[in-house]
Amino acid sequence: MAQKMTMALFSGSVDKLTAAGVILSGAAADDMDVDIYVLLMGARAFKKENIGEQGSMAELPHLKDEFFASLERLKVNTWVQFFKEAKEMTNVKIHICGLAGKIWGGEKLEDFNELADDICGIGEYITSAQEADVHLFI
Amino acid sequence: MEANELKAVTVDKTVDARGTACPGPLLAAKKEIANISSGQVMEVLSADEGTKRDIPKWAQKKGHDYMGVIEEDGYFRIYLKKG
Repeated sequence: MAQKMTMALFSGSVDKLTAAGVILSGAAADDMDVDIYVLLMGARAFKKENIGEQGSMAELPHLKDEFFASLERLKVNTWVQFFKEAKEMTNVKIHICGLAGKIWGGEKLEDFNELADDICGIGEYITSAQEADVHLFI
Repeated sequence: MEANELKAVTVDKTVDARGTACPGPLLAAKKEIANISSGQVMEVLSADEGTKRDIPKWAQKKGHDYMGVIEEDGYFRIYLKKG
């Protein structure tokens, strides 16, 4: 039986989303089942209209240009590419917190990009975290 | 295996991941090993220092045989036998 990783993705900042994407890639290479619960600030990044947005950085925001230049030079995927690739490689489900969605004007699944699988409540996240082999909060 | 032994190994598949940083080489290895048969040998070319430790650990977990690494000028050749 595959090991399971549960990730609470609270942040919607591009630096933390990129970190989440790198970790998700490692889990995909390891054939782990992954449940990602997109909470509060994270949900905005998954809104359909925001998918191409470069977004803000939570850490060292004044070095954003340097960060993006380095990612490009090193041919690092965007966070969306990391997430898409991981979904193709292993069982990754992305759940949007119902409250978080509403905060950013997303009531239904179709308000979010194609990465999102469903809209859920917080109880499901707690259960998933209790069952996980690896549990992360980003 | 030592470098001189690895150089004599017949490689069934080469994955050139020198253009990518971590986790690119690991993901490339994961994808491409699906395209060879058990017992066949794959070499992964990577210029990423971390990959030289990452791929052996991944291979061990996945049941593949890590055969060794050759350090070339600016990159590594990492050899795996599919389990």
